[in-house]
Amino acid sequence: MFLTRSEYDRGVNTFSPEGRLFQVEYAIEAIKLGSTAVGIKTAEGLILGVEKRVTSSLLEPSSIEKIFEIDAHIGCAMSGLTADSRTIVDHARVEAQNHAFTYNESIKVESVTQAVCDLALRFGESARGEESIMSRPFGVSLLIAGIDETGPQLFHTDPSGTFVSYGAKAIGSGSEGAETELQEEYHTSMTLVEAETLALKVLKQVMEEKLNSTNVQLASVTKDGGFQIYSAEKLQQVVDRL
Amino acid sequence: MDTLVSKYANSASSASFDDADNLGQNMTGWDAASQFALPAFDIPMVANPVDFLRAHTDASAENRIRIQHGTTTLAFKFQGGIVVAVDSRASGGSYIASQTVKKVIEINPYLLGTMAGGAADCQYWERELGRRCRLYELRNKERISVAAASKILSNMVYDYKGMGLSMGTMITGWDKTGPQLFYVDSDGTRMRGERFSVGSGSTFAYGVLDTGYDFNLSIPDALELGRRAIYHATHRDAYSGGSVNVFHVKETGWEFHGNFDVNDLHWEYQAQPKGPIV
Repeated sequence: MFLTRSEYDRGVNTFSPEGRLFQVEYAIEAIKLGSTAVGIKTAEGLILGVEKRVTSSLLEPSSIEKIFEIDAHIGCAMSGLTADSRTIVDHARVEAQNHAFTYNESIKVESVTQAVCDLALRFGESARGEESIMSRPFGVSLLIAGIDETGPQLFHTDPSGTFVSYGAKAIGSGSEGAETELQEEYHTSMTLVEAETLALKVLKQVMEEKLNSTNVQLASVTKDGGFQIYSAEKLQQVVDRL
Repeated sequence: MDTLVSKYANSASSASFDDADNLGQNMTGWDAASQFALPAFDIPMVANPVDFLRAHTDASAENRIRIQHGTTTLAFKFQGGIVVAVDSRASGGSYIASQTVKKVIEINPYLLGTMAGGAADCQYWERELGRRCRLYELRNKERISVAAASKILSNMVYDYKGMGLSMGTMITGWDKTGPQLFYVDSDGTRMRGERFSVGSGSTFAYGVLDTGYDFNLSIPDALELGRRAIYHATHRDAYSGGSVNVFHVKETGWEFHGNFDVNDLHWEYQAQPKGPIV
C-alpha cells in the first residue's frame, strides 16, 4: 500500500516505514543546491569563507550576505535558503545576548549552536505547550565559528538539528570537492594566514565563476580581534596571494 | 520575522522559571543546606537590628527601605564632550548602607547611565537596555543613537508605570550627531538637555554647576567642575557622600577619570583660597 515515497512526503513529521523523515532529508538536500561555504579552525583562530553567486552583472555583490556576526566572539557562514538563515541567526544573537544579560559572561560556542539546533525541529504541528514557528524544516546549514574559554571551535549544523564539531568543513553545492581538498591540505598546526589561503583555494576550485574579491567573502574569528568580516582591501590581498 | 523571534526571545531555561506551577518541581532535589552549609546573613550595624528592619521593611513602614534614594548625580555637555560625576552613598532612611556604590552604569563602551532612586531598578533596566542596544547593533550593523537608546529605556519603564519602579537616570553617549545627554525617569519622562543633576543633593550640585559652568571649559576644568559640584552636594546633603566618580564621554567612547574620597576633597578644597563669586 505504501510503496511510493510520496505517501510519506506529505506530513512533515511522519516517519516512513524505513524510519526516515523525508521532509528533513529533502531540507538537507536543499543545502546541496546552495552556494559553497568553508570553515577552517586553527590554533590562532578560525576562517570562514563563502562563495557569492553573482547571477547578473546588474546585481550589487555587496548586498549578498552569507556571513553573519552572532556576537563579538562568534560568527557564522550559511548555505541554503538565505531567508531561513535570518530567523536562525537572529535567534542565535538573542540567545547570546540573553546569556550575557543573565550570567554577565559571553556565551560558549557550543551553547549558541545548541540553541540554534533546538529551533531546527520546531516545525509542523507542535507538541503541547511548545509553539512551532515554521510549517517546514529550515532549509539552511550553518558553520558556526567562535572562540570561548575552551579555545577556537567550529560547529556544523543541519536542518535535522544535528551539530558536529570539525577542524575544517565545507557545505553547499561544492562541498564534496571542497572537502576532498580540505582533507588533503588541512592540518591542525596550520597558521591563520595559511587557513585564509586554503579557504580561498578551496572555493576557487569548486566555483563556476572565476574567483575574485567581489564574488567571495572571508571572515575571521581571533582571540584579540574577535569576529571580523574582511574589508575589500584585505580580501584583495588574500586573493592576490593565490 | 521580528514577531517570530520575539516569541522565542526567552531561552527555554528562563521560560521554565516563569512557570510558577513548575517552580516547586524544579526545586526538588536541590538541597540548600548541603550546598551552602552554615548560612550567614549580613545584619545592619545598628543597636537593635530587629526593630530597625521592622521599621524599614514593613510594607506600611513610613520609611521603607529603598536603598539609594538619596543620591547626587550630574552630567553636563561642554565643548569637549560630556562630564558625568556621581557620589557613592547608598542610604535607607538615616541608615548608610554603603559608601562604595558604583552609580555610573557602563551600558557599553559608548553609553553611560547614572543611578538614582532604586539601585536594583537602575542596574537591571540599564543592563536590559545594554542587551537591546547590542541586538540593535547586530541587526542594523551600526551603533544605536543615544536618542533611540534613551527612548527604549523610557518606553520600557513606562510599561511599568505606577507599579513601584523608582529610577532617575541620565543616559549619555556619543553618536553620529555628537555628544548627547538625556534625562529619563520611572514616570516615563524623557528630556534632552545640556545640564542635569538628579537626586536629593541635586539642588546643591546645580548651585555649583550653574555658577562655574561655561560651554568652552577645558577638559580638565570641566572634570574639576563636576567633581566639585558633587563634593559640595555631599557636604550639605546627608544622603549623599562617600566618594566622587568622574567620567568623560568622548568621540571614542567614555573614559573613567578617577574616584575621589569626599573627605580628602574636603580638606583639599578647604586649603584653597576662595575666588570671588560676584
